[in-house]
Amino acid sequence: MSWCWLDLRAAPADNAGAQARVFERDGTPAGWLAVWLRRAKPSRSARRIDGRVVDGRGAAAWLSLVRPPDGVRLPFDDVAVQQARRAVLAAPPHDAVTTLLSDASHFEGALTVARGDGVARLADDPFARVFPARVLRVEAGLFGAVPAPCGPTIERYGSAQPWPWDRYDAAPS
Amino acid sequence: MPTHPIAPLRAGARFPDFELSDHAGNRRRLSNLVAGDPVVLQFFRGWWCPKEQAFLRRLIDLQDDVEVAYSRMISVSVDAPEVNAALRAGLGARWTFLSDPDRAVQASLGLRETTDTLNDPYVPAVFTLFPDLTIHRAFDGYWYWGRPTLDELRHDMREIARAIRADWEAPTP
Repeated sequence: MSWCWLDLRAAPADNAGAQARVFERDGTPAGWLAVWLRRAKPSRSARRIDGRVVDGRGAAAWLSLVRPPDGVRLPFDDVAVQQARRAVLAAPPHDAVTTLLSDASHFEGALTVARGDGVARLADDPFARVFPARVLRVEAGLFGAVPAPCGPTIERYGSAQPWPWDRYDAAPS
Repeated sequence: MPTHPIAPLRAGARFPDFELSDHAGNRRRLSNLVAGDPVVLQFFRGWWCPKEQAFLRRLIDLQDDVEVAYSRMISVSVDAPEVNAALRAGLGARWTFLSDPDRAVQASLGLRETTDTLNDPYVPAVFTLFPDLTIHRAFDGYWYWGRPTLDELRHDMREIARAIRADWEAPTP
């Protein structure tokens, strides 16, 4: 179970575990992305993510941040969300990707981290076909790189885990 | 008398935990790709072989089952990562392809097809593995009919899953 929370805020958070400024494509400030490693939800709009994407040594990056409109959400098993997961696995991997969750059954967005050649492909983020996406630039010190899942599994390893976390916590061997 | 190349990689033996570059150029270790799931590990000659093209299309048909069955697929050849990436994309495969262009792992495994002195490819072979890399079954695909059918692979995945999933039988109230 991941207890890592992410939120996009207008101002820095006093109690975040890590945070960095983000900017629109034209350089306009877009606020602060903050993460918390704790059980309690830090803010109304925070969502759980795969904690492996957070890395204080990570270089600056570009992001595709997909969020549903206020009051809208889809079941994680919605066919559009299933197909987006397939498309993510089929494409060349980005530095990191995580879905956003607030409970065990709903998809509430996604975060994709790209650097180098992958930045141009953020415009074709499969999760952006489900909900609106913002492409943002984030400063160094927040997001790292996570090996892509082996594939082709699109299911979550426990409904409370953000895809593509790819194993049960205590997998038998 | 020379040993048959598949012979040391027999059922019950532990498959060597090799490391190769994936289709995106990232170094990947077999045990990390396998994690806690049953695996179909396939060695193939290369994109150019009509038998491999036919067999890979067969594996594509298995993909819809594997993606929801907490299992994994891995394909290995001597082709370069960019060649495997193109093959994978053309097939619509959503699992990891590994590349061994210098044939170091091929040599360590003894899986060189000695009758093809032009391409020096892997001898076609399929292994079904437990998460700890123990070989459940080995298929020698030098002759095409030596390769597993999809039903044989499904049967192996079921047997491995039954052995490793403590809750194989649905929990009762």
